[in-house]
Amino acid sequence: MWLRTYPRFTASVLLSASACLFSSVGSAQSHSSNEELVISDNPVGHPGGRLVASLRSEPKTLNPITSIDISSREVIAQMTGDLIHINRLSQNTELAIAKSWKVSRDGLQYTLKLRHGLRFSDGHALDVEDVLFSFQVYLDEKVNSPQRDLLIVGGKPITVHQVDSDALVFQLAQPYAAAERLFDSIAILPKHLLDQAYKDGKLAQAWGLGTSPEKVAGLGPFRLKEYVAGQHLTLERNPYYWKADRAKHRLPYLDQITFLFVPNADAEVIRFQAGDTDVLNRLSAEDYSALEKDQTKHAFHVYDAGPSLEYNFLFFNLNSVLPARSEISRKQGWFRQVKFRQAISMALDRDGMVRLVYRGRATPLWTPVTSASRFWIDTAVPHPVRSIDQARKLLEAAGFSWSQSGDLIDSSGSRVRFSILTSASNSQRTQMATMIQQDLREVGISVEVVPLEFRSVVDRIFQSHDYDAALLGLGGGDVDPNSQMNVWLSSGNDHVWDLGENHPATNWEAEIDQLMVKQLSTLEPQARKRLYDRVQEIIAENLPVISLVSPDVLVAAKDQLGNFKPAELDPHTLWNSQELYLSGTAASGQP
Amino acid sequence: MLSFVFLQLAPGDFFDEMRLNPQISPEAVARLHREYGLDKPLPVRYFSWLKSAASGDWGTSFAYNAPVAPLIWSRARNTLLLTGLSMLLCWMIALPIGVFSAGERHRWIDHGCSFLTSFLLVTPDLLLALGLLWIALRTHWFPAGGMFSLKSAHASSVAQCRDLAFHLIAPVAVLVLGGLPVLLRHIRAAMTDALQTPYIRAARSHGIPYSRLLFRHALPAASAPLVSLFGYSLGSLLSTSLLIEVVMNWPGLGPLLLEAILARDVYTVIGTVMFSALFLAGGMFVADVLLFATDPRIRTKDIG
Amino acid sequence: MKMSRIAALLVTALVFLCLTVVFAGFLAPYDVAQQNRKLAFAPPSVIHFADASGRIHLHPSVCALEDRPGAFGEYRENHLNCFPIQYLVRGTPYEVFGVVKSNLHLFGVAPQTKIFLMGTDSYGRDLFSRFLCGGQISLLAGLTATLLSLAVGALLGTLAGYFGGWLDASIMRGAELFLALPWLYFLFAARAFLPLSLSATGAFWLLIAVMSLVGWARPARLIRGVVLSSRERHYVLAARLFGGSDTYIMRRHILPETYSILLTQAVLLIPQYVLAEVTLSFLGLGVAEPTPTWGNMLSTLQKYSVLATYWWMLIPGLLLVPVFCGFVLLANELQPGRKARAA
Repeated sequence: MWLRTYPRFTASVLLSASACLFSSVGSAQSHSSNEELVISDNPVGHPGGRLVASLRSEPKTLNPITSIDISSREVIAQMTGDLIHINRLSQNTELAIAKSWKVSRDGLQYTLKLRHGLRFSDGHALDVEDVLFSFQVYLDEKVNSPQRDLLIVGGKPITVHQVDSDALVFQLAQPYAAAERLFDSIAILPKHLLDQAYKDGKLAQAWGLGTSPEKVAGLGPFRLKEYVAGQHLTLERNPYYWKADRAKHRLPYLDQITFLFVPNADAEVIRFQAGDTDVLNRLSAEDYSALEKDQTKHAFHVYDAGPSLEYNFLFFNLNSVLPARSEISRKQGWFRQVKFRQAISMALDRDGMVRLVYRGRATPLWTPVTSASRFWIDTAVPHPVRSIDQARKLLEAAGFSWSQSGDLIDSSGSRVRFSILTSASNSQRTQMATMIQQDLREVGISVEVVPLEFRSVVDRIFQSHDYDAALLGLGGGDVDPNSQMNVWLSSGNDHVWDLGENHPATNWEAEIDQLMVKQLSTLEPQARKRLYDRVQEIIAENLPVISLVSPDVLVAAKDQLGNFKPAELDPHTLWNSQELYLSGTAASGQP
Repeated sequence: MLSFVFLQLAPGDFFDEMRLNPQISPEAVARLHREYGLDKPLPVRYFSWLKSAASGDWGTSFAYNAPVAPLIWSRARNTLLLTGLSMLLCWMIALPIGVFSAGERHRWIDHGCSFLTSFLLVTPDLLLALGLLWIALRTHWFPAGGMFSLKSAHASSVAQCRDLAFHLIAPVAVLVLGGLPVLLRHIRAAMTDALQTPYIRAARSHGIPYSRLLFRHALPAASAPLVSLFGYSLGSLLSTSLLIEVVMNWPGLGPLLLEAILARDVYTVIGTVMFSALFLAGGMFVADVLLFATDPRIRTKDIG
Repeated sequence: MKMSRIAALLVTALVFLCLTVVFAGFLAPYDVAQQNRKLAFAPPSVIHFADASGRIHLHPSVCALEDRPGAFGEYRENHLNCFPIQYLVRGTPYEVFGVVKSNLHLFGVAPQTKIFLMGTDSYGRDLFSRFLCGGQISLLAGLTATLLSLAVGALLGTLAGYFGGWLDASIMRGAELFLALPWLYFLFAARAFLPLSLSATGAFWLLIAVMSLVGWARPARLIRGVVLSSRERHYVLAARLFGGSDTYIMRRHILPETYSILLTQAVLLIPQYVLAEVTLSFLGLGVAEPTPTWGNMLSTLQKYSVLATYWWMLIPGLLLVPVFCGFVLLANELQPGRKARAA
């Protein structure tokens, strides 16, 4: 009755009443009854303290839409939230901003329901509009976001529509196995802050490093506090974060995270040893051994979290499109022979690489799938021991022979020699290349190691195809085989040994294509695994890439850091930053 | 005049290199070509580049996706600090020693410093740097490289200065020790020459006290070659500081330039080289002015 | 040109150095690229003059090195496994000047153990062998750059001094410019603009060329001074009166005056250019693996952990000091003589 007679008055009373209610939500410990929080089941820690981490390069931007480099993404990950998140430790998906998801029978529609009452870090409420806006921006070709490629299924971008006040439907062009993993790290953007920039076409310049903290908001556990160029970037606790611990205290525990900019890995370690930083992400093996000796004297520990997803490999230029007037096509006569590649693989000293380059903290590989992918790795793939004799036999069978001075010569009598391209800035790969050079000397092959700056390496491999062989490392972002599609598909962008061809050049590549495409739409995990196992066997036998080693994940943290669980997936140390806490009063550097 | 010649050095044929840069499409290169007026005659080209450089637009760094000028400036401050301080210290140490060693009394100064000079001359700066780093790592008497520690960012300015001073010890020591031998040699030579002149002998016979003789009479006469030495030593100091900064992680122009080269970040390289050229030109200009100011008649004599 | 005793001694020492470097293959026990992967970062071998039971005999021996399982880079000697050092052994083949092939080495030990007079590097390669062979590239680079630099400097200096006028002024202005340039910056910039297609070796030699072109200024000025003074000599005037062409006069009368300066400058410049090569290789802009040069042997020391733990890797750097000392002292010896003659 009230409503009908005095609609405006009632409305304003209700509005002001709810305004009072909402304004009381500001305090950190209380939450409105509307809000649906995620309760974590980890041990309860105590709030307060500042964590100091280090970054080896300064982030270039805080813009989740355009950021590519590692440092920017590391910082952005702390400030943003996604719909469905991959738990870095268990490697399984868990619900985040979405409170439930359903997939239709044909696998083409994913319906996600959002949690109610969530807020961005500036207090503004989250609703479906923000999610729609985010996906619109990511999928907009004019914006040119690198995330767009991740959202293309079956050649077409996914589409989103709202079906309810809190539900969205994502439409895929074809069934896609484990599609819920796609949502990880797709940050949900605040429409109220970025809409204007989007309309003005200036989205790419938004949220650069100089942006003031009020203009940046996200759904992550932390929000921007301060950026000092050349020194550090500090994040503070997001008082509106939507997770709480078992004791119903709102997470995160930490008051601040400071990312210190250090010039290089050495400086990073020195800082950690001096106590300036609390956690170290991705140590090198030498630093690990050095710190290991110190760890009992000081209050920190080093951790070897096991093999990572990164794999280093050697591959040959099998492209059919080559620069003019190059010797490479002649050399391809050798590279294209499977026995040649198998012989090279037999001659390499993987154990030596593990020992010298990584001080034993790595695993030799015979396929690019490392044991970090616990579910997907095919343990039946053979691991042949290094044998120069075997290598020689294989080379003989392929028509090679040896000259008087011991050099390998092919059937037409020319000496077998080629160069290995590698990135000058990566000392491990340069070291591996030098070791390969020496190993292949034993079978009579003369190898030149060519360290070039990274951009030139990328240009030569991807554009001009002007190289003989190259040594690269690729890190899987995720354990799921779908993340490797670009590498194994003949038309893929990362099919590094033979780019630019849409059709498979060999029978086995054709088979890999078929298998990969099939597993993409096979929804049943075991069936997928069988397909992916077969792919691994083909790779191990035909060696488009000769896998070398996978370094372990080596991290370090102060003992007082509670709930520290290093994970094999990136970010290894701060993936659970909302649950990290500092026990005792002495955090490094009181604010 | 020298400055202008330096600025002429600003490279104009680097756009070929840009064509190889994968980030730039051929259209962009063509556009830049036109933008920079490379189809226009040479003088016009340089003037328009100078104009844009003078107005503060030095291009954009590819690696940092940020304008080059502020990037260089923040690093250049650190290099200037290091170079300036080292220059000052070097001259402050070298002048008195050099002057005294040229005199007749206190021969032991002369012998001592020639020994020191020879030793320092044969030791490469690189080795000095590595040696000091080794000492620092073993003994922790002073920090092994870097410019600040974290705690200083929130400490009082006095503590910050102290921290900076500690970090300065190693690089400045290397630069000073590296620059001393050449300076000492030249100062001594110039002083010896000056001391042979007739008017000095006249002054001595007048009974002017020894040290006053050295400093008030002989030194100004010897100053002409020394001032030009100042200009030249700046160049070699800049070179050495590049190396020292890289080895000791001092965040100056050195590591920036090295990184930029390895990353083919063309604008940053050009900007850095330009800046160092400007700095050098500035130094030489100061030297020219000083030369003119100290003794006008020197201008007619052949220098060197 | 009479040389003092000391000068003669120094020349002998330097010649000895050159011979050592030329015959590096003979003097070095191992091949430069041979990687002993189980013995990376091994310390210099301890030469024993006493055997296991404590008896002293003159024949030196080396004991086998074993690594501690689980610990990387820590070794201990196995005193039960000692082998005498043998002389004139047959080992890995090498070439002298690329022409004479041999596999005779001055000393070595039985294959079960290794002798590392200066320890090993990160791949387990013998540093002593690498140091000797590394001298080949470093000294050659220094020599080439010096010759180039002197050639250009002598040419320009002579032209400037002889003809005078605007040529003189412009060349001297140019010389001032080049003298003042921060050479490392210039070199870096040159490196940045080198075409990508050059191999590392090609790029390196190009850099040496660029470097020498930066350094022509000082010799040029000195030569110019000499030319200026000798231009006014009587016999030059007489030759001109007789109708001698400029080139003839320059070649026959003036150039010989400059020889002593050229020599002194050469002796001074060689260590500077060797140092330049060392700096370039140290920063990673030099020759490619596995070729050693004195510079890239030091480049691993950029990592603090290596610098602090494996002290023997500094030895190549320390050995540079006596080498440079020799050159500088020789230059000192040569100079007073010239001063006395020119006065």
